[in-house]
Amino acid sequence: MADSLLPVAGARRRGAWRVARSVWFAMFMREAISRTMADRMGWFWMIFEPLAIIGVMVSIRGLFMSGSEISGADHVPWMIVGLMGFGLFRENMMRALGAIDANKGLFAYRQVKPVDTVLVRCFLEGMLKSFLFLMFMLIGNLLQFELMPDHPLGVLLDWLSLWALGWGAGLTVSVLGDLVPEFGRVVRILNLPLLLLSGVILPVMYVPYPYRDYLLWNPLVHGLESMRVAFFPGYHTLDDIDMTYLWFWALSLLALGLLLHIRFAAKLKAH
Amino acid sequence: MIDIRHLYKRYHNHHGSQWVLEDINLSIPAGVSVGLLGRNGAGKSTLLRLIGGMDTPDRGEIVRASRVSWPIGLAGGFQGSMTGRQNVKFVARIHGADDEIEEIIAAVESFADIGRAFDEPIKTYSSGMRSRLAFGLSLAFDFDVYLSDEATAVGDRHFKQKASEAFKARIGRASLIMVSHGEGVLREFCQAGILLDRGRAFWFDEIEDAIEAYHSAGDGYVPPRLATVRNLEEAKQALAEANARFDAAREALDAAGDSAAGTADPPEETLRWRLDDARERVHEARRQVQQFTARKGRKRAARGPDRPPKNTSHDKTSAKAKRS
Repeated sequence: MADSLLPVAGARRRGAWRVARSVWFAMFMREAISRTMADRMGWFWMIFEPLAIIGVMVSIRGLFMSGSEISGADHVPWMIVGLMGFGLFRENMMRALGAIDANKGLFAYRQVKPVDTVLVRCFLEGMLKSFLFLMFMLIGNLLQFELMPDHPLGVLLDWLSLWALGWGAGLTVSVLGDLVPEFGRVVRILNLPLLLLSGVILPVMYVPYPYRDYLLWNPLVHGLESMRVAFFPGYHTLDDIDMTYLWFWALSLLALGLLLHIRFAAKLKAH
Repeated sequence: MIDIRHLYKRYHNHHGSQWVLEDINLSIPAGVSVGLLGRNGAGKSTLLRLIGGMDTPDRGEIVRASRVSWPIGLAGGFQGSMTGRQNVKFVARIHGADDEIEEIIAAVESFADIGRAFDEPIKTYSSGMRSRLAFGLSLAFDFDVYLSDEATAVGDRHFKQKASEAFKARIGRASLIMVSHGEGVLREFCQAGILLDRGRAFWFDEIEDAIEAYHSAGDGYVPPRLATVRNLEEAKQALAEANARFDAAREALDAAGDSAAGTADPPEETLRWRLDDARERVHEARRQVQQFTARKGRKRAARGPDRPPKNTSHDKTSAKAKRS
């Protein structure tokens, strides 16, 4: 009945920060539910998919290469750390690419800005990946894979750096991919070369000396190798690994992405 | 109070693309409900989106000195894969209603009255169910101005009644800015009108004047005003007239459908709205006739036991109205 519907909430005047916070919270709850509950067995695939990739990669390596050590680290944990770190970056970037389009309907509420959808997705993605990584460490240890970080704080810092890099890439790519759809396609194509050039599967020490300089242009190499150094005692890698270089990239991309979001906010909404 | 100053808007910012809205200057006073009229593509929905803050103007500004809702309509605002309940929760959270969230959900659930579908994904909803939910959701918040984009166009008779009661309960505290092609709806809810024509906006203090101006700007068709009836004979006469008008509208629409698509003037959609409007009026006239017969019947029952004469005319009209 009409009289049962008295307005229960006053749309009080709120400050910008409070509005942003409630939007983030609402978006986070919604993304979290749709990521984990919407598909059938969403939880199962979230854990099983990376597990399967690791399994495939490890068995390929077992077939074609001999030796179970890579530069002083056991090859299974070495692969897990690389794949998890790369996955953190890639998923942040790729999830952000579809974020604006997937949430178009929500721009009906003027409180929601396109940048919110990207920020929330990247945050959720990072949280899920961190949880997954911790779980792998636990399971790996139970299976006696030596999956305990040597310098936990160093690993944490490198993990956060890779997250920041993915976040920056996501912010930038989300705007460009929405304005120029071809751009998103190119980013998807670049995924595989990036995987090969980041030292995830092919150890960087195997790369011939003259090409190492070019390899070091890729900020992901710095992040992943630094994380492995912190993870495995006695791991040795290229001398020029430098986290400052990665942070230069991460901060530049974050700044560029936020600027693009400010500049094109109206256009992103209107599409 | 909503102030629109020197507002310009166009899509595709290429050189030479036409302004959808050009130099709009309006000031909508607080507490006055306004209907937006104009042809298809005149920029009604664009103006509504701009007022709601969904879109940004190319030039000029809109000053909202009151709490304005989002445009209540069918498109957007809901995530199809999530249930009605989850969507309501989301909107409540966005509006900062963290403490009242359970009350809001309960209120919307009872108003929308869609039963178990409230816990089903929105993508399984019919358009009527979507509009029930959208409408109930917007009414759960205490806005000063509600923006409605054809929100009342769908839904069955019962729900329309409920929606209009809910709005009327709020007159004095809240107002409405609505886009609708149904003139009956505009007459019912709005006091003032804005006519959009070729990028310009014209303000009318009376919605009737706006409707008339809309028609004279279009094809010269002026809908007759509703006459007040005093007794059964006049009511019956009004009903007959309404029936005739309904038939004429029906024929016009059929003729437009027969001629090649797109060449009809006025466009087919206008004719369809006109037909809907005529149907509304038939219903209205029928209700009046029923009222008078009932009154007569009561009088007669007070006098003696003989039954009131059976009125066959409304059976005929209801069959006619159902035909379309």
